[in-house]
Amino acid sequence: MIHPVFQNLRSISVYFGTWILLAGIHFSILFFQFRIPLNISLADSLIYNGILCIIGIAIWYVIRYSMPGNHAGFSFIFNHFTSLVLLLVFWVGTGYASLNLLFRDNTVYLNFLGLSIPYRFVIGILLYAFIGLGYYLIIMYRDLQDKAKAETRLNELLKESELNMLKSQINPHFLFNSLNSISSLTITDPGKAQEMVIKLSEFLRYSVSSNINTFTTLEKEIQNIQRYLEIEKIRFGEKLVFEFAMDPGCYSRYVPVMILQPLFENAIKHGVYESIEPVKVITGCKTFADYFEIRISNDFDPSVPARKGSGIGLKNIRERLRLMYRNDSLLKTFILNNVFQVVLTIPNKPVENNLKQ
Amino acid sequence: MTYKAIIIDDEKPARDIIRTFLKDIAGIEVIAECSDGFAGLKAIQDMKPDLVFLDIQMPKLTGFEVLELIENPPLIIFSTAYDQYAIRAFEMNATDYILKPYSRERFIQAVGKAVTKLQNGVAAQPEVQMLIQTADEKEELLQRIAVKTRHKVHVFGVNEIIYLEAEGDYVMIHIKDGNYLKEKTMKYFESHLDPEKFIRIHRSFIVNAEAIERIELYDKESYAVLLKNGASLKASTSGYKLLKQILHM
Repeated sequence: MIHPVFQNLRSISVYFGTWILLAGIHFSILFFQFRIPLNISLADSLIYNGILCIIGIAIWYVIRYSMPGNHAGFSFIFNHFTSLVLLLVFWVGTGYASLNLLFRDNTVYLNFLGLSIPYRFVIGILLYAFIGLGYYLIIMYRDLQDKAKAETRLNELLKESELNMLKSQINPHFLFNSLNSISSLTITDPGKAQEMVIKLSEFLRYSVSSNINTFTTLEKEIQNIQRYLEIEKIRFGEKLVFEFAMDPGCYSRYVPVMILQPLFENAIKHGVYESIEPVKVITGCKTFADYFEIRISNDFDPSVPARKGSGIGLKNIRERLRLMYRNDSLLKTFILNNVFQVVLTIPNKPVENNLKQ
Repeated sequence: MTYKAIIIDDEKPARDIIRTFLKDIAGIEVIAECSDGFAGLKAIQDMKPDLVFLDIQMPKLTGFEVLELIENPPLIIFSTAYDQYAIRAFEMNATDYILKPYSRERFIQAVGKAVTKLQNGVAAQPEVQMLIQTADEKEELLQRIAVKTRHKVHVFGVNEIIYLEAEGDYVMIHIKDGNYLKEKTMKYFESHLDPEKFIRIHRSFIVNAEAIERIELYDKESYAVLLKNGASLKASTSGYKLLKQILHM
């Protein structure tokens, strides 16, 4: 850790400036208050403050090396007590000795100097405490800064990995069941099998090749959903019915890539997978001035006990929207008369201006 | 001799391929196709097939739930896209477990196993053992339970369970709406329910931790667990220890 005094020009000038100020006060008290001659006041002030100015820089190392471990421990008190005693003895002693040497003949001053020693001890303790506290505050501030930096980085990493995870979220069972359907169709209806292979390929290409951090038009997103629904339709036949009621203006709006697929997967999973009656999946979109609204609803059988895993898909979508638009309430769900509805409110512009196509 | 088979799967193409493959295998006749668990259960009970092709994830009842509810189950070949249920399937004495999509050879092999069993009445155990060993998945916890009363099938989530009580070879499941008897062991429930939530407090009791109102000393050696619905269960010393550990008392 770099010494706080020598961080930059500014910290150096602040430190020495403070000492010049202290020396000035010291001098003024001696000169004006105690009427001590100018040259002696000046020498007294310079010697005492000069020594402490240099020792003050050294105190940093005492603090740095007594820092690790628990602060309130015995070694902490011991370290500071030792360094304080050494400092006071050295400081007051050297000052006294040199001034004694300089002004050997001035008994009045030497008398004053002798009497002032207890006060100098007290001032020494105060200054030591003050300097020490300053250093501790600087260390704490630096720790906080480091922590904040680490946290930001962590959040970024988390965001990245979370998004990668979300991307690979295509349900493998969907894939295997679709492949099984294709396997079956190659025998019973090869034309349809070919059609389904193409649809599945297009769906996979869209999922795999789109960068999850980017945005795309709702048109492309809906095209992908149609492919997905048509694949499921081949699997489930009459049991799956889907309808789209979209404002024409919706198609050119931008949405995060693959934001809709998990919602439709949810609708199919809790609607079609669990029902023996036909399930209708209705998708609507309305445009407003600075946002647009996508509604996806599906019927479901209320007598089926909820399975684990419901809600994870929705949670992920909410999290993605939060990361991209910095808003927690863009996804809402409603249950009314055995119809489950998801409402997505998408602002026209994401917070970060990273609109990519 | 012709054996009767039923196909239960909620996806038409999946039923089609089984029927198509079976057409080329002599000696097996498809007598019904069902697209959900309820219909499948009813068909098995009414038509008494020799062999059932059973999907696992289906509406109403899963394949496992269907199998549990049949009294004298026929031979079962599970066909599913999920690989994590293999252990459970073989625990339930499934004849085979084929993963979708499967080849004609794999399908014929499974049917061959079933036909051998039907002819000899013996299980092809070694292969099953091998399969269990190669499956490296962990057992899934139960999420819901299906029980059958005289005319009806009830399905409820495990969260609804208040407590389970041993009743000879059966377990009495106490839920808010009533009690249901299930032909399973306490040990089975102990290992298939979330151990953080369902606590075996006694040889005869497994209790849902959320249903507990308070715990009192009963006598020197045992404790009484009082439930929110008013019931009082006995806890053994070891059961009380477990309770303390899980509830962080």
